[in-house]
Amino acid sequence: MNQVRQHSHGAATGILLLLGCALVLPACVTSRIENSREGLTGIGANESVVIMAKSYHLGNETEEKYIGCIEKELAQGKGGLHVIPHRQFVDSLFPWFEPRTAPSETKGLPKLMERPGVAEQIRDQRVRYIIWLDGDTDKVAGGGSLSCAAGPGGGGCFGFAWWKKDADYNASVWDLDGLESAGSVTADVSGTSFMPALVIPIPLIARTQAAACKGLAKQLRAFIVSEDAA
Amino acid sequence: MTARITTVIPTALVLLAVAGCGSNVTLDPPTIPAPLINSIPLHVAVRIPAEFESYVHQEEVVLGGEEWSIDLGRSNAIFFTELFSYMFDEVTVLKPEDDESQYEFDALIEPGIDAMEFSVPNQTNTESFAVWIRYRVKVFDPEGRMIGNWPFSSYGKSLTTTMGGSEALQRAAVLAMRDAAALMIIRFKPQEFMRALAAGGEVAAQEDASGNDAVQATVVQGANK
Repeated sequence: MNQVRQHSHGAATGILLLLGCALVLPACVTSRIENSREGLTGIGANESVVIMAKSYHLGNETEEKYIGCIEKELAQGKGGLHVIPHRQFVDSLFPWFEPRTAPSETKGLPKLMERPGVAEQIRDQRVRYIIWLDGDTDKVAGGGSLSCAAGPGGGGCFGFAWWKKDADYNASVWDLDGLESAGSVTADVSGTSFMPALVIPIPLIARTQAAACKGLAKQLRAFIVSEDAA
Repeated sequence: MTARITTVIPTALVLLAVAGCGSNVTLDPPTIPAPLINSIPLHVAVRIPAEFESYVHQEEVVLGGEEWSIDLGRSNAIFFTELFSYMFDEVTVLKPEDDESQYEFDALIEPGIDAMEFSVPNQTNTESFAVWIRYRVKVFDPEGRMIGNWPFSSYGKSLTTTMGGSEALQRAAVLAMRDAAALMIIRFKPQEFMRALAAGGEVAAQEDASGNDAVQATVVQGANK
């Protein structure tokens, strides 16, 4: 009985140690956010922006979740922009912003505006900028070994695993006032996650995509309201 | 009793792990947004074939032994009827058993599905579901002569969501149907169509400025259906 108690004391110490490590050693994330400006920007109080993913016909795989995150980040807080949900915008301009028909370059905008009802819809929704997202988050490396076993008496895991994810996104900003490109913002974020396990696995997850979302959205907002243009 | 539970639970877990996954996906009829187009001043009849009314596609994925099926149900019939009602001033929908000679119209349109395919993440080593649908739209003049026969391929793709693969596959199917509607709109040239009806013979779908060639037109000269 004494031995059993000692064993459970040892396991509990190990778990506490791992939990302590989890608090002390956060997963590692490195970010690089850059922008390239082609013209002056600015946005009126009544004007809106739309976040769109570049077409999958062009090989793009931007996640729906990432678009939603950028929309939310741009809209929230003091000085948040008015963001029109992308599905609502696409439906209101059907079929001209479907993956097959959406313009891939600003030179397609004048022709698009000539289509019946398009200019009116954009004007009615006060859309000033369309932001086209391109890129995705991928697992680029991983390793380690972690095994788990379970039996009638209980179960547990032992080992160590790690993986690295890269989130590379590019946001092209189109100004619908002049039907021209205003520039672009890029986010290059890399994060390594760890999972040590001593009976219980302790995941130390690097929130790579979330970091890429927050970083890109913050820079995009500054780019559009032109805080850095002066 | 405890021993029985501890035996049953791991056995059930093993069976779940060994059994092939997959899903039966039934598509809820999607609604088509009102397209920004000028409608064509014609009265068309739309004949919906029986197989178009209830299309089920079943496919066994070799990798992983998954079995998926998509039941499009009435989705296509409803979607295309809505689309034609936006494209033309007046639309009469005919059932498969209806005799078209009893109705008055400028043209008769009959949509159909030639083939359908889809891919799941296991096959492509990605996180996306993709759906291809090959449609065929036949157009007849009031005398029953076929004046157009257009096959066109539509495509939809959706990434796996936290809600699971069924939702992603449904979304991909809806996107493929919207793609078909976009193709119909950008390729359908009203002037060509009306000229063909007047001449009783020839109509061709045309490429748009993007050079996309997914719709190929078969030109038919006064052929009987």
